[in-house]
Amino acid sequence: MEKLFDCLTCQSLTAAMSSTSQKHRNFVAEPMGDKLVTALAGIGDTLGQRLEDKGFDKAYVVLGQYLVLKKDEELFHDWLKDACGANAKQRKDCSNCLKEWCDAFL
Amino acid sequence: MANLSEKSVDELRELLDEYGIKHGPIVDSTRSLYEKKLREAMANAKKRSPDKTFYREEVEEEITYVARTPVRGMLAADSGAYMRSKPERTGDYHHVASYSNYSSSPPDLRGAEYDKASYSNYSSSPPDLSGGEYDKPYTYSTPTTYRSSYLNSTPVTSEDIKSSPAPPAPKSSGLVPPWIQVVFFLVLLIFLYIVFSSMESNEPIKGIA
Repeated sequence: MEKLFDCLTCQSLTAAMSSTSQKHRNFVAEPMGDKLVTALAGIGDTLGQRLEDKGFDKAYVVLGQYLVLKKDEELFHDWLKDACGANAKQRKDCSNCLKEWCDAFL
Repeated sequence: MANLSEKSVDELRELLDEYGIKHGPIVDSTRSLYEKKLREAMANAKKRSPDKTFYREEVEEEITYVARTPVRGMLAADSGAYMRSKPERTGDYHHVASYSNYSSSPPDLRGAEYDKASYSNYSSSPPDLSGGEYDKPYTYSTPTTYRSSYLNSTPVTSEDIKSSPAPPAPKSSGLVPPWIQVVFFLVLLIFLYIVFSSMESNEPIKGIA
């Protein structure tokens, strides 16, 4: 029950801010479990496919990469750009998504 | 340069710290990223170090020369370049000290061939001219004895020849005299005041209506 309440307040807060996408809000709302890499904000089908080809098929693997880069935004952006060719907005969305998820659950 | 991919993890880590690159553990998935960053850092370091002092000295030299041009305004531009080379030897200008630092950088500018090529167009005069003698008009004779002694005594001035193509006029690229900026600012202020006061009052001001 508490968890549901937290979840709802979190969603309402982020919805009020309206600077994050629905995808972001969905991802940050709960533990990622076995979600695919395309569940990450900023990662669509094309980028998701490129990441999968490199072995990053699940969101938690990308999370692992983010953590191994010591949660440094710039390093993660550089890596993501090399790995799948994400543009600046996509990189920002993805790193923000992971950052918030870590803040909530890590 | 040794192949980065053959280096051990420890060596890579040391290199990363050397270049001040923030990094995490070097594992399979991060190694290629760090190698790429190291390559970029090495390329940047190599590119910037020889030029850096060069540019700094040039800028310094230009600025001090511009400040002094009105004082010595009677000489023409082509002899002005020659004249600019003189301050290094007389010690009048404060940036002589900066050139003593510069003299330790790439030695190719001191090459005798370069000096001869650049000075063949210039007249030379006795190397012991002091600052006061600049006011005398130059004669454009080229005694060979003076030329060689001049070359020997002014190894750094070849650098001035390189900077002389830059316009010796007071308004060089990017330098607008401050008084013009102040005038513009005042005009802008006055204009804004007029607009503001016309907004405040209901009657329009004559000039704007």
